[in-house]
Amino acid sequence: MAYLKRSPWIIHYDGTSCNGCDIEVLASLAPRYDVERLGVINTGNPKHADILLITGSVNDQNREVIQNIYEQMPDPKVIVAIGICATSGGIFSECYNVLGGVNKVLPVDVYVPGCAARPESIIDGVVKALKILEEKKHKLVEMQLSREAFIIEPATIEDAAEILALQKLAYQSEAELYNDFSFPPLLQTLTELKEDFKTIIFFKAVINGVIIGSVRGCVKGDTCYIYRRIVHPMYQNLGIGKKLMNDIEFHFGFASRFEVLTGHKSRRNINFYERLGYKQFKCEKVNDKRHRVYLEKIADRIRV
Amino acid sequence: MKTFLMILAYIIFAPVLGAVLSGLDRRVTARMQSRVGPPILQPIYDVLKLIQKDSLVVRRSQNFYVAFFLVFIIFTGSLFFSGKDLLLVIFALTLADIFFVLGGYKASSPYSIIGAHRSLIQMMAYEPIIILVAVGMYMVTKSFYVADIVSHPGQIFYHLPGIFFSFLYILAMKFSKSPFDLAYSHHAHQELVKGLTTEFSGKSLAMIEVAHWYENMLMLGFVWLFFADNILVGAALTLAVYFFIILVDNVFARVKWEMALMSSLLVGLLLGVGNIIVLFFIRR
Amino acid sequence: MNLLIFLIAFPALTAFVLLFLKNDKIRAITITSAAAILSISSIALLIINFHQEIQYFSLETHYIDKAMFFIEVLLTIYIFYIGWKYKKYIVSGLISVQFLIMAFFETKYNRDIIVEHVLLVDKFSIIMAIIIGVIGSLTCIYAIGYMKDYHSEHHKALKDNRRFFSFLMFIFLSAMFGIIFSNNLLWLYFFWEITTLSSFLLIGYNKTPEARNNAFRALEFNLLGGLAFLIGIIYLYRFYGVVELDKAIYLGKLGALVPAALISFAGLTKSAQMPFSSWLLGAMVAPTPVSALLHSSTMVKAGVYIILRFASALQGTVLGLILALIGGTTFLVTSLIAISQSDAKKALAYSTIANLGLIVLCAGVGTYEALWAAMLLIIFHAVTKCLLFLCVGAVEHRIHSRDIEDMSGLIISMPKISIMMQIGMVGMFLAPFGMLISKWAVLKALVDFNPLLAVFVIFGSSATLFFWVKWLGKIITVVNQEYDLEEGMNKTETVPLYILAFLTIGLCGLFPLVSTALIQPYVMEIYGMTLAMSQGNIVIMTIMLAMVMLFPLSFINYGKRVKVVDAYLGGANIETGTRFRGAAGSVKDMAMKNYYMEKYFGEKRLYRFGVLFCFIFIISMFMVLVK
Repeated sequence: MAYLKRSPWIIHYDGTSCNGCDIEVLASLAPRYDVERLGVINTGNPKHADILLITGSVNDQNREVIQNIYEQMPDPKVIVAIGICATSGGIFSECYNVLGGVNKVLPVDVYVPGCAARPESIIDGVVKALKILEEKKHKLVEMQLSREAFIIEPATIEDAAEILALQKLAYQSEAELYNDFSFPPLLQTLTELKEDFKTIIFFKAVINGVIIGSVRGCVKGDTCYIYRRIVHPMYQNLGIGKKLMNDIEFHFGFASRFEVLTGHKSRRNINFYERLGYKQFKCEKVNDKRHRVYLEKIADRIRV
Repeated sequence: MKTFLMILAYIIFAPVLGAVLSGLDRRVTARMQSRVGPPILQPIYDVLKLIQKDSLVVRRSQNFYVAFFLVFIIFTGSLFFSGKDLLLVIFALTLADIFFVLGGYKASSPYSIIGAHRSLIQMMAYEPIIILVAVGMYMVTKSFYVADIVSHPGQIFYHLPGIFFSFLYILAMKFSKSPFDLAYSHHAHQELVKGLTTEFSGKSLAMIEVAHWYENMLMLGFVWLFFADNILVGAALTLAVYFFIILVDNVFARVKWEMALMSSLLVGLLLGVGNIIVLFFIRR
Repeated sequence: MNLLIFLIAFPALTAFVLLFLKNDKIRAITITSAAAILSISSIALLIINFHQEIQYFSLETHYIDKAMFFIEVLLTIYIFYIGWKYKKYIVSGLISVQFLIMAFFETKYNRDIIVEHVLLVDKFSIIMAIIIGVIGSLTCIYAIGYMKDYHSEHHKALKDNRRFFSFLMFIFLSAMFGIIFSNNLLWLYFFWEITTLSSFLLIGYNKTPEARNNAFRALEFNLLGGLAFLIGIIYLYRFYGVVELDKAIYLGKLGALVPAALISFAGLTKSAQMPFSSWLLGAMVAPTPVSALLHSSTMVKAGVYIILRFASALQGTVLGLILALIGGTTFLVTSLIAISQSDAKKALAYSTIANLGLIVLCAGVGTYEALWAAMLLIIFHAVTKCLLFLCVGAVEHRIHSRDIEDMSGLIISMPKISIMMQIGMVGMFLAPFGMLISKWAVLKALVDFNPLLAVFVIFGSSATLFFWVKWLGKIITVVNQEYDLEEGMNKTETVPLYILAFLTIGLCGLFPLVSTALIQPYVMEIYGMTLAMSQGNIVIMTIMLAMVMLFPLSFINYGKRVKVVDAYLGGANIETGTRFRGAAGSVKDMAMKNYYMEKYFGEKRLYRFGVLFCFIFIISMFMVLVK
């Protein structure tokens, strides 16, 4: 299982570096130091890389770029800040355009100070990073395995903040689908949410004490309205949403009709509900960008 | 039964051999550059690491293309090593490579698309020559079947020198080595970022790597056909060819696509078709 | 025999009925029913004649001959007039020469001509009949919805002449049936000229100067071919005393090749081989159903049909070799030019000419293997090309462009159509689909006969690979496509597309059946031996097809465990991820275009090349004959 440290592929990014550290990085690949004997390859492509070597500090212009590159790296990944500029901004830290070291923007795992950092230090830093990489891998594997152990239980008002954060995270993809970020789930405030707790029942899905899913529902007359079914992006497609729906429907088992709503382009949501026995009955226009689709289920058709 | 065993042997041993050869390639290259180089089994470590990584995609369906690329390469190799029709092997190989190229297109990124286009140009350049190999083999052995070609008495190479050298010329393209590593370059080359493979990561990248091992073994199998009469000589010469490709890789710089395409066509016409013409008139 | 007459007469009658039907709905129903009847009848023809060898029929034709002559006089007057009116004097000139020769022939020899068999039907005719009956009918059905859109959305200023359009389509179908069932060469010639005329009228349908010019160019080349045809018939009668196809072939085998050469020349013009290709390229201005029916699946097949009939006579002759060279050169040059074309219909046109060149190559070689390959090519090309043209027509109507560069992301904006297009494209060059099997057969046929001819096929087919995959890639690349453009597509358009797509795949899977049922018997009849793909290879191809079919299934488990991120743009992605920050803080869109390589594969450069070579070949053909 220790292959991550046998085959570390790096991507090297130059922030505002004077190129001194960059040259030292490239020197490590040259015959004298030859990091390829450790299996290191300098790929220029974040999607192939495990380690992000950053030299130079962060300024306004490259802040988004680094975040972009970091997001395009697959897990597990580590960041090594090379040179004092990357560590803390170095002698340029007081400049008007310099934000500081890389840790102002991204979570750095290893710092390699120096000006310029010598190849020996760089290699040392990479080797330390490899250890951290292996640890991260273990954690990831644990998380994947422990998803078996998720539990669903009613939520209390203390969970409101966590649920709100999760809500904002989970609805990002919906907003992107319609290119409409002015969308109630994203604009709801903590106070409003806490108010909701008085009249609406909340359920939460928990793994190792962390809330990774939630759903809420309330009854008006004969109908139970279920909404804001959310699951953390990292835990989607694992059956958590379905279990949440089942549990809340069971809780409101006395209702004779259930109603949910979603956006018209959210095909996966619509399919999801239809597989649970819901049928579309209404479609109304909210604004130019989206229409809302309403689905309903009559009680005797409940599937558990 | 024998067919089944051959296919099984191919499926199990080809990636191992391919990985070792790939590792040897990196090691020899490093030594030529006065470096130490990675351990010979490094490609295997690379693939095993890639399997453990997350899969990131730009379009959700792009990994399917790569999966089918792998499947079809294994299929093609199995066809070849179980002695079937050489033309069919070539067409199946084309099918496999096209899945790979389409995966690059699907990834919808500038680098992968340039990589895909250049891969296609290279395919346009080498495909005639590979088919000429098959035609040449037919003219000598009167059969398209690999089984018949292998059991043909006498070294086929003596009848097909022109075709052999034109095949050698484009072998660099198939292995993605200088001077023809325009499309999807290995390792240190960064002209196109990673060309065709830019937007693939994790398991699909591992699949691409493994598929290329299978493909390389298939290509070496083609080389071996020329020398199949004597197994030892055949194996030795095939390895020599591989070493030669590594040497050329380290000596030559990359060419532009026009040069790659036009020179292969020229070589194909002069050496390949020339060989065929000579054979045709000798046979008359 | 009644079925043959029915197949020829029924479309003609339908045509006249359609000419006078004003109501669109009733016309649509008539077309659909007539199409269904034609399809069923042609399949019935197959079933009835399944175990039969070639059959000949005699008829009392005195009145029909007179009627034909009368119609020809009318046509001559019309064409002469129209050539004169639009100052296309070559046309008027050609038709006058033709008429004079015809009149001379009729008056001098008419009493004496004895025709033993007027009609024939054999497996080849049946294959062509099914192509015309099924694919032709599907195209006519497609045309209903397409032409409605054409007039209401895209050419509002144009006078709605759909009655005339459907009339012409059905007259054309009738003439095609006439061609494939005629044994009397005079009848064949008559029907040939009718297809020329319908092509002319259909190309010029939208009455723009460009359309008109292209229509006249088509008329010029086809009339030239018709003239050669006529001279061929007269030569045949003058020196051998017969006017029948089977006798002409028999005489050809004995060495009398002048009629064969002249008729093949006519075939070359009809199939737009070089140097006559410009008419087909220009004909792409016509509405898409016309391009699909006349200019890819059917009419141009009449040209190769007639050359293929002579295949057994051409075997081993110099004439055959020259024809093969013409076909091969055309195939190579047009495949290369197709790389530089970004207009979808033009690319398809070049591909059509290329494939016809391949068939002519096979005909010129004339061995039983080559004939087998050619028949397979005809079948698969007809189905696949029609599918492609119809898809491109549908796409054009919706994205308002014919340019391949505008078809990016079609898989999202028009999923069903794009999948069918992909099936069509893949069917044109990829294993294990039909055309690949045909190319394989061609290669095998050529290595035994003359490996140098194989060079044309080898280099040409790599070129075809390039431009098909390029196009295929363009469709599946997605950059910001979100909306669904497929709404409101007429059933008359989608149903033929589904059927054709299904046929492409089905025929491929069933090709061993097609081979044993239709192609092999025909080849057997002519040569006494036939080629068949070995059992082992058939199994392998079937496995490959099954595996390829699994590919769409993988979409069911659509991207469950993957994380979607942006494409790599050096980290400069902003907003939707397909835009990036450029120089000086500007915002740029990701734009990816295909390589067209005009410098190397441009039309201007290569076309002249091909024309020159083929021109030389044609001259040598005639010189050889004169000897």
